[in-house]
Amino acid sequence: MGNQMTEMLKGTLEGIVLAILAVRPAYGYEITARLREQGFSDLVEGTVYALLVRIEQRGFVDVTKVPSEKGPPRKVYSLNSRGREQLDEFGRTWAFLSARIDKLYQDIDNRQDAGE
Amino acid sequence: MAAKWVEALTGSLEQKKQYKQAMARIKALPGPYADAATALHRYFLYAGGLVDGDTIVTMIGDHADLWERAALDGTPVRAVVGDDPVEFAEAFVRAYSGKEWIDKERARLRSAIDAVPDSAAPGSPAPDNPAPSSGTGVD
Repeated sequence: MGNQMTEMLKGTLEGIVLAILAVRPAYGYEITARLREQGFSDLVEGTVYALLVRIEQRGFVDVTKVPSEKGPPRKVYSLNSRGREQLDEFGRTWAFLSARIDKLYQDIDNRQDAGE
Repeated sequence: MAAKWVEALTGSLEQKKQYKQAMARIKALPGPYADAATALHRYFLYAGGLVDGDTIVTMIGDHADLWERAALDGTPVRAVVGDDPVEFAEAFVRAYSGKEWIDKERARLRSAIDAVPDSAAPGSPAPDNPAPSSGTGVD
């Protein structure tokens, strides 16, 4: 993954994962697979796993252990009410940031139009 | 009663048991996974700064879960730890860092700064328009 992408994901991956879990509960590998489908092709499983541990420790998800066909049960994560609040806050923060950045790019465009 | 007395000296026996179980699970992993997990484990304890026994036991239990799952799914070690294993290890430990030894120092720093008088008192220059230096500096 590009360096800038890695840096930006550090601040946003939590919100992205909470959004995925808001659609439906999932276990670690499913979340990684879904993110890869959506274009985060270089995302490693461990990154998602460490993040799931964090959101579990912070109380944003409920965890149930679901038996798997082989090996130990899989931990399935579902968003709880605290997680939903956190996701709402992420949404508001993201909307603010994205509006600010759009505005900056508009300023660049306007300046170029005026100059040429 | 006797158990309580002993645990006051040695720490929780139940925790020790859980810790040993998690270590046994790591040892039982197929070669490359056991090697990777052992290396990470060393780093966690060395760099993690965790002092709370419950937290450590939860963390290494989760860590054993992670590698057992990876071994069963055949996920390559690299796909778990990524390009930089240190970054992975630190993100993992940070998730559990509720009770770190550094917390005491963090609290101390916060209250020390709280106790410092605010330098931007009325009458002093605004931060983005600092006063010119007095001219006694080295040229």
